[in-house]
Amino acid sequence: MNDLLVDAFVLREQVREKYREVASDPGGEHHFHTGRALAARLDYPATIVDALPEVAVESFAGVGNPFVLGDLQPGERVVDVGSGSGFDSIVAAGQVGHTGRVIGVDMTEEMLAKARDNAAALGLDQVELREGLAEALPVDDGWADVVISNGVINLCADKAAVFAEIRRVLRPGGWLQFADIANGRPVPIEAMRDIDLWTG
Amino acid sequence: MLEQTGFVEVEVGPAWDTFGGARGEAKARAYEVYGYPFLARSG
Repeated sequence: MNDLLVDAFVLREQVREKYREVASDPGGEHHFHTGRALAARLDYPATIVDALPEVAVESFAGVGNPFVLGDLQPGERVVDVGSGSGFDSIVAAGQVGHTGRVIGVDMTEEMLAKARDNAAALGLDQVELREGLAEALPVDDGWADVVISNGVINLCADKAAVFAEIRRVLRPGGWLQFADIANGRPVPIEAMRDIDLWTG
Repeated sequence: MLEQTGFVEVEVGPAWDTFGGARGEAKARAYEVYGYPFLARSG
């Protein structure tokens, strides 16, 4: 018996389609903010964002800032779950430096391609982008010192499975620092079963 | 859910008005949806 509120496969396809649009048309009509204006709203330092080319920022579509509760340390190994166009992976790469590693994982081909181009253009050889799902990360057990994520887990039908997978890739005592949305008012069960509400 | 899945020392930071002024603002306001930073250690 599947007790998830929505069909995980259908939701995943709708999310993938939405973020294809964000990759190809970042300034289009989305239900959320994108790009530099969003980064400023979410307290990313202007000194970091202003130094990046437009193509590295324009498809940023996070819901918060996973770095506000703690900076990463030089040399750390980081996994970015749902790395999108690579904005947070790039920020993470700046913090861990060239002795660290950042593996960005995303399921949307267009986002992965954009993230790879962005990392290469910036000379960030410590960043690697891999295709995969939050529920099945293509990362070895206990590899990561830190897992970051931004606005992704809320889009996954089985959140417990995602958190279990994140624990699998973290070393014992490793940290999860992420940003996501939460509601202060209960959402009716019928609305939670409305898959369109999840994606926009 | 973080603690149920084995994380400890869970911390939640202050909210952002993530959807303010965006097309999704009305839905976000209806359910008081905001963005938050979370920090947790794998126990």
